[in-house]
Amino acid sequence: MAAAVRGAEELELLERLLGLPGGNKYGVQGERKVPVLQTNNGPGLRGLMTIAAHLVRQARKDQLLGSTAEEKAVVQQWLEYRVTRVNGGSSKEDTRTILKDLNMHLEDKVYLAGNIFTLADILMYYGLHHIMVDLTVQEKEKYLNVSRWFNHIQHYPGVRQHLSDVVFVKNRLYTNAH
Amino acid sequence: MGFGDLKSAAGLRVLNDFLADKSYIEGYVPSQADIAVFEAIAGPPPAELFHALRWYNHIKSYEKQKASLPGVKKALGKYGPADVEDTTGAATDSKDDDDIDLFGSDDEEESEEAKKLREERLAQYESKKSKKPAVVAKSSILLDVKPWDDETDMAKLEECVRSIQADGLVWGSSKLVPVGYGIKKLQIQCVVEDDKVGTDMLEERITAFEDYVQSMDVAAFNKI
Repeated sequence: MAAAVRGAEELELLERLLGLPGGNKYGVQGERKVPVLQTNNGPGLRGLMTIAAHLVRQARKDQLLGSTAEEKAVVQQWLEYRVTRVNGGSSKEDTRTILKDLNMHLEDKVYLAGNIFTLADILMYYGLHHIMVDLTVQEKEKYLNVSRWFNHIQHYPGVRQHLSDVVFVKNRLYTNAH
Repeated sequence: MGFGDLKSAAGLRVLNDFLADKSYIEGYVPSQADIAVFEAIAGPPPAELFHALRWYNHIKSYEKQKASLPGVKKALGKYGPADVEDTTGAATDSKDDDDIDLFGSDDEEESEEAKKLREERLAQYESKKSKKPAVVAKSSILLDVKPWDDETDMAKLEECVRSIQADGLVWGSSKLVPVGYGIKKLQIQCVVEDDKVGTDMLEERITAFEDYVQSMDVAAFNKI
């Protein structure tokens, strides 16, 4: 099983993607390795979502959090899903449920929040990378919508960085499989 | 390349299948390719073609900035799956043709557009012209070519056989099969168009290489 991109590493990827100068020091806390960011003023930030949103604002790329109220809500919802379900679950059963959920959601959407690229896509990509790497060709085809989205995001400028390029075959083995 | 007739249900189905594993017509960003196809279809695809519909709605969200999207618009025949031709008829473009602004204020843009339209149509016409008849009966034939003896140069023999060229004849893979006493026969695959090439003609041409070929048989003959 490929190692999951977790916590600090993921936030550093996000920093680079956002074009931030870096230099933030991340720590981890507790049994579940919740990332912590120590800031110069105040008690510091805890949790992936909190820190990610903070970085996005720092980079002045607020559109990544959604433009309309609906988009903001959807981004928030998928970030929460990412933290609670994708990070929480590790069994085969959990993975299947996640892929099924996403596959259904992405059937009529290009990005998680619809038509715009958001933080939800970025963090979901980082969170799913280790899962997608291990999928068989048949599974990739079964979760066709996830595969399409994942392939799209990994080609989005600046997102993939050093992570491995997951290969999706163009020829479909089974037609009529959604 | 192309999607067939994009105004028809069949064409939309081709588009739907094409977009199943892609977010855009070309590459990973919206481009003029998307706009070209978007403008060619009559309206939102039906709900059961959800891949096409998802793409349609997504491209629609770029409507305001469509002029600034990267790329150059090409004829519809330049996009889509390689094995489908574009047949979106010129007649379907007449919609654009009809709305000639009689009180046209900016003539220059109009003529620019007309020019683009004409070019597009020419390209379409060309792609249609080059289209072959839809059904060509083809057969796959496996030939056994036997040499005179074990001293016959099999490489040369194969070269001779492959040197036979005819319209509608394509040579495929070949192998040498031992028949005994060190003698090998050449087994070679070819695909022919039934109307243009017959086995008689093949036999005649192959046995013409008398120095190498003793005899020739058709080992298998399959309609494709």
